[in-house]
Amino acid sequence: MTDVSRRHLLGGTVLAAGVLALPGLVRAQQDGPIKLGTLTPLTGSGGSYGPGMAEVVKKAAAEINQAGGVLGRPLSIISEDDQTNPEAGLRAARKLIDIDGVSAIIGTWASSVTTAVAPVCWQAGVLLATVSGADSITRLPHNGFIIRTQPNTSLQGRKFGEFALEVGAKTVAFMSPQTPFTDAQFAELTKVVTAAGGKTTSLIYDDKKTTFRTEVDQVLRGRPDAIVMGGYTTDTAVLIRDLYRANYRGKLLGFAYAVNRQLVEALPADVSEGIYTLSPSAAEGSGGYGRVAKLLGVDAPDTYACQVYDHLNLIALAMAAGGGATGAIVRDHLRKVAQGGGQPVNNAAEGLRMLAAGGKVDYDGASGPCDFTEIGDITDARFRYEQVQGGKITLLKIA
Amino acid sequence: MLTYLLFALVVGSVYALLAQSLMLSWGLAGLVNLGLAGFFAVGAYASAMLVAWGHAPVLLGPLAAMAAAGVAGLVVCFSTLRLRDDYLAIVTLGFAEVVRLVASNEVWLTGGTDGISGIPGFLRRESGMAFHLGTLALALLAVAAVYLLQRRLLRSPWGRALRSVREDETVAAVAGKNVVRFKAQAFALAAAIAGLAGALYGHYTSYVAPDQFQPLITIYIFLAVTAGGNARPAGAVVGAYLLVGFLEATRFAAEWLPELSALQRASLREMLVGLGLVVVLSLRPDGLLPERSQKAPSR
Repeated sequence: MTDVSRRHLLGGTVLAAGVLALPGLVRAQQDGPIKLGTLTPLTGSGGSYGPGMAEVVKKAAAEINQAGGVLGRPLSIISEDDQTNPEAGLRAARKLIDIDGVSAIIGTWASSVTTAVAPVCWQAGVLLATVSGADSITRLPHNGFIIRTQPNTSLQGRKFGEFALEVGAKTVAFMSPQTPFTDAQFAELTKVVTAAGGKTTSLIYDDKKTTFRTEVDQVLRGRPDAIVMGGYTTDTAVLIRDLYRANYRGKLLGFAYAVNRQLVEALPADVSEGIYTLSPSAAEGSGGYGRVAKLLGVDAPDTYACQVYDHLNLIALAMAAGGGATGAIVRDHLRKVAQGGGQPVNNAAEGLRMLAAGGKVDYDGASGPCDFTEIGDITDARFRYEQVQGGKITLLKIA
Repeated sequence: MLTYLLFALVVGSVYALLAQSLMLSWGLAGLVNLGLAGFFAVGAYASAMLVAWGHAPVLLGPLAAMAAAGVAGLVVCFSTLRLRDDYLAIVTLGFAEVVRLVASNEVWLTGGTDGISGIPGFLRRESGMAFHLGTLALALLAVAAVYLLQRRLLRSPWGRALRSVREDETVAAVAGKNVVRFKAQAFALAAAIAGLAGALYGHYTSYVAPDQFQPLITIYIFLAVTAGGNARPAGAVVGAYLLVGFLEATRFAAEWLPELSALQRASLREMLVGLGLVVVLSLRPDGLLPERSQKAPSR
């Protein structure tokens, strides 16, 4: 087998690479479809969320296309994988912007990926719609090219604090892996709980570990009556199991994206019994949530799928309102279709019809009312409070 | 389109520097260095902190990066003197993870998982194409300089002694060579080159964060060096550019199969990378550019 010469192999490799790249090079630009990119984690630690996000955008775009597209042009969605890694994410974003010529990128999930990709987007005039929560993201000098539908972490920390007090906790422990939002979250949580005369402790763990026995022991020494879990599905599952083994019978609070159906189904019913979850939510009965559920064919889509659905609809509506398909037009008109009064709509097809008829729309989506501040944060978020009861996630209230 | 090509070439150059670093420590000195991502990170952080926070001139950044990574290399080398092969690999992998964990948890020092954003570039970022072209020129210059240095070293008595250490430490020691000194020099130099790559990357992309330095990058570089030839500077360089070309080209290959879901295509890409390595190794087990046997110098 070694008689293939170096020259042939080298030549072959270069040729193969060239051929692989060919379709990208000859693709026509302009007038055709409006191109939008999704950049979600399909592999790596965000790999359990990204595929659903990419799928919902694709399906929602197909719905819009069926209804006639945007400005008479169909939407074309190009999905790339950010590998939950800023380095790989940046390469993918460059390809989406320079080769595909997308006018918006939807769905960056990890805060580090969003921060790495953001400068490339605002320099190229591409809108970046993200689900990352770190407070620092919207403080970047982005000239309006970033919007996010995930409530920022200070707000989430506050909500967790209030929720813990509401379920009767006085001593609250916070357990989380190190993420860009851990500190802000704990600070807000502490503020709320100490104001009510309680006290808080925090413990940062390494989310790659396979057991948290020592961490659990350490936290339980403080005799907390509620533990707030700040991690993602994989590490949270391990944590819940170890807490159960350590005979902890206090209250448990977690993010709904971590304590999701997958996790509840994987754990025995008595282990997961009584866990409270919190997630940003649409107003009850707004209909957007149901539409995402139907698109994905599940009964409880996670918040990220809902958020990217909203991103796509907002971008489509902003393009229609602005009469063009560039990132700058989306930036300039996004708030006109997201807020400020008008006919409430929860999907783009309907909104596009109204805009075409000369109406004004106010998009209320699957993840919430989707109203944005100057720097791109959402102004008001409702939260969905749920509890695991008998192996099922049951809605307590939306407030 | 052009920006994308320039970007890919700069990334390829960063990979080429990392590959040369690995070639020196692994291919020549025989020290299996899985800590590459760690030295890459030390360099990137040193330069970013000095320039973004310390407001030092940008060109000082890479120098600081090389110094910091070189010192880190010495520390790692001296703390692992008695380890070889698999054991050394495990410890160096541990070092890289320690660097990443320190970077994400010591918020006062490194900014934590938020990373450092807004790092100034070597040229003004607003100058558009000139920025990319200029950075590429600098990156190519760095690759060429390191390449020439390595070739020179390889031919020198120092390079011969290093290879003898790789082949058999005891024999080299018996022949009067100071094994520890050779190892330490090679390892520190390799670490410094990785640090230089880190500085280039940080100043080009304007952002460093702990997540960028996951072991994935070390694996990629091992792929590049294995495919290119692990004991020739040219092999490392060629391997690195081919790897980036291949990684990027597989994106487009996936578009030939529109019926696959995004997830399936992402997985397919990863499989193609593995398959590519298997093909290269079965056709050219020593890489594209295998080590040349060198004649003894004539007297």
